[in-house]
Amino acid sequence: MAQARTTNRGSDARIGSTARIRGRIHGDGDLVVEGQVEGAVALRGDLTIAEGAMVSSEGIEATSVTIAGALEGDTLASGAVRLAASARVRGNIRATAIVIDEGARFSGRLDCEFDLPTELGGVSRGEPRGRASTRR
Amino acid sequence: MASTVIGAGITIEGEITTEEDIVVAGTVRGKLSAKEAVTIESGATVEADVQSGSLAVAGTLTGNVTAGDRVDLQSGARVVGNVKAARVTIADGAQFKGNVDMDV
Repeated sequence: MAQARTTNRGSDARIGSTARIRGRIHGDGDLVVEGQVEGAVALRGDLTIAEGAMVSSEGIEATSVTIAGALEGDTLASGAVRLAASARVRGNIRATAIVIDEGARFSGRLDCEFDLPTELGGVSRGEPRGRASTRR
Repeated sequence: MASTVIGAGITIEGEITTEEDIVVAGTVRGKLSAKEAVTIESGATVEADVQSGSLAVAGTLTGNVTAGDRVDLQSGARVVGNVKAARVTIADGAQFKGNVDMDV
């Protein structure tokens, strides 16, 4: 990706398209991956996997995650996860909101917790909490 | 801006390789290899062997360095390790402990 020179504002960290990281990435701040990452990612910030990027991870944790590239591994987001049209994802996603754009390919489980109306939820158990799936 | 930037809050434990340049403002432990320039900014911590085209250090670096072109230890830099490059500068205010090999 022939990137024009831009300021670093709005992006704390960037893994360029020719870069390859094997290992653990963690910390505070946003991260944009344009290259290859093999390993766990844990961020207090937003993660963007750009188109053309390849991420193979035993686990991704971030505030929100936007995926336009390829990802193999599970994703846990405290905010939203968005799969753009060019996304290719294999793995489970757990988030408070999930968007899958038309054209995205996804194989895995979506776990998006929400409250069902009490008439529908498990009222008898006294825990009126619905789940898109039962995985914790 | 460099193609790869490790921001101030970010830590990478492992191996980084790139065909382009890289700026470290955060923490890197492991191994760092770039075809072009590596910049270790003030406040950054690198505990890694570094292989690069050129290297500029204003932060803390522990590890051996091999650069194809040059190594510049800037004021405020703290470097422990051996440096191998054709051209090496050490600025006033830089701390350095290790061997220099200019391949003469």
